[in-house]
Amino acid sequence: MAAVQSGGNAQPSKTWELSLYELHRTPQEAITDDTEIAVSPRSLHSELMCPICLDMLKMTYTTKECLHRFCQECIITALRSGNKECPTCRKKLVSKRSLRPDPNFDALISKIYPSRDEYEAHQERVLEKLAKHHSTQALANSIEEGMKQQALSRQQRVRKHHPLPSDQPQGEEPMDDQPPPSLPTPEVIPETREGGPSRQDAKRQRAVPGESSSSETGVTPELGEPSEPPEAMEVPSEIELVFRPHPSQPDPSLLPVRYLKTPTHAWIDHLAKYLSMRTSLEAKGSETSPGSSSQRPLEGNTEFTISVANQTGQYVELPGNTTLEQVNENYWKLSKPLELYYAVKQ
Amino acid sequence: MASQNIDPMLPTMQNKEKKVNATRRKDGHSVTMRLQRELMNVMMSGSTEVSAFPEGDNIFKWIGTVKGPKGTVYEGLSFKLTLEFPADYPFSAPTIKFKTPCFHPNVDEQGNICLDILKEKWSAIHSVSSILVSLQSLLGEPNNDSPLNPLAADTWNNQAKFKELVHEFLKKNSKNKSS
Repeated sequence: MAAVQSGGNAQPSKTWELSLYELHRTPQEAITDDTEIAVSPRSLHSELMCPICLDMLKMTYTTKECLHRFCQECIITALRSGNKECPTCRKKLVSKRSLRPDPNFDALISKIYPSRDEYEAHQERVLEKLAKHHSTQALANSIEEGMKQQALSRQQRVRKHHPLPSDQPQGEEPMDDQPPPSLPTPEVIPETREGGPSRQDAKRQRAVPGESSSSETGVTPELGEPSEPPEAMEVPSEIELVFRPHPSQPDPSLLPVRYLKTPTHAWIDHLAKYLSMRTSLEAKGSETSPGSSSQRPLEGNTEFTISVANQTGQYVELPGNTTLEQVNENYWKLSKPLELYYAVKQ
Repeated sequence: MASQNIDPMLPTMQNKEKKVNATRRKDGHSVTMRLQRELMNVMMSGSTEVSAFPEGDNIFKWIGTVKGPKGTVYEGLSFKLTLEFPADYPFSAPTIKFKTPCFHPNVDEQGNICLDILKEKWSAIHSVSSILVSLQSLLGEPNNDSPLNPLAADTWNNQAKFKELVHEFLKKNSKNKSS
């Protein structure tokens, strides 16, 4: 390193330092016959990888002195934002001029991976999709799972010849072998707000206001938050719901009566999302297995509004951010399942 | 699944989170990609000495674990760390702290770590696994010239006494945290 510093920028007087290993190693023989050398994909990948982005090298730039390779973008950003040295070996890199583009290496990569652009575009799409639909997917899976469970318990009941009262919730009762505190059928509405904090995040954020350090089991009495241990939060109280078609609907047969059991702190928004998801899943299901449902379901992507009847018999549309607990408190308060009315959003 | 329903009560928090995400998104794509690749590398490495995983859904926050190196006073112990990655990672170092109380010359009572590669000697090619390995060797080979914990630095030469203090410190501070 000392030699490099003393040399200034005069190019002819540059001295190259060889390490002991470099001085003493036996040079590798060039392969001139048809010998083939097998290289494992992993070691090949590590040769072609940029150590900064950990992706395959793109517009390879090589450091002139230590011969380490990086993507152009990566090494330029690194030089701009950090010490002026090689990220790999800390050799001084005075400026961009200590680097040179390495088109041969780029050609080598494109020879080995000719369809790289295609692969990248594909990866991009997948990632984008994942980010967008991550939460929606979770809800869809949950509902689909719930439908399967319902079908299962329905079959079981038929086998047992249980009389099925016409207006009874279908499959909403707990299956015999399930422990009581868990939800009967997994018709559960998971948190679906995109970008919203996960449950763990929420827990952490809740702990923030009063607690300075990381006492996770600590009690947080401020802000009127229920000061219960985290375990207690996982068994929220539940409410049974009945969805009926709103009287304003021209064709109520499109909107079957639906039964649901869900935690009371779920929002009307969650229910609306659930309804539209469930409707589109049923639409999909009837396409693939005709005859499974007697009535022609609505198209997918149908959105719904949710109302409740007040004491004077008028239907009040509920705002999306109302919790079921509030609805129950303000309109219902009966021990019967809470009755809600749903309608296709105009 | 039901437990995911916990947070509809926190609309303001959600908005805040969204804003942060939006500012990141511009340049955050490549950062997220790098972190995802690192996660894959960590998981594939199969190392039993160090491990790390994102905490919750946020890939910018990880929890790491480092085993006390064999043949040192820390043998048999396991230390948890928090890793927070800046939006310009890997061009800036992550913020790393000991979550498990650690009596060590270069670790203070809050878990802050004094290690050159996490500060001025940071390089973009360091990764979660390389950092954790470095931290593991720091445990066994402290730099006693610039201590954050002077008592630890002074006691280092008396290894038997040091080991006692390590366990005492761990016990005392774990208790404080849970009460």
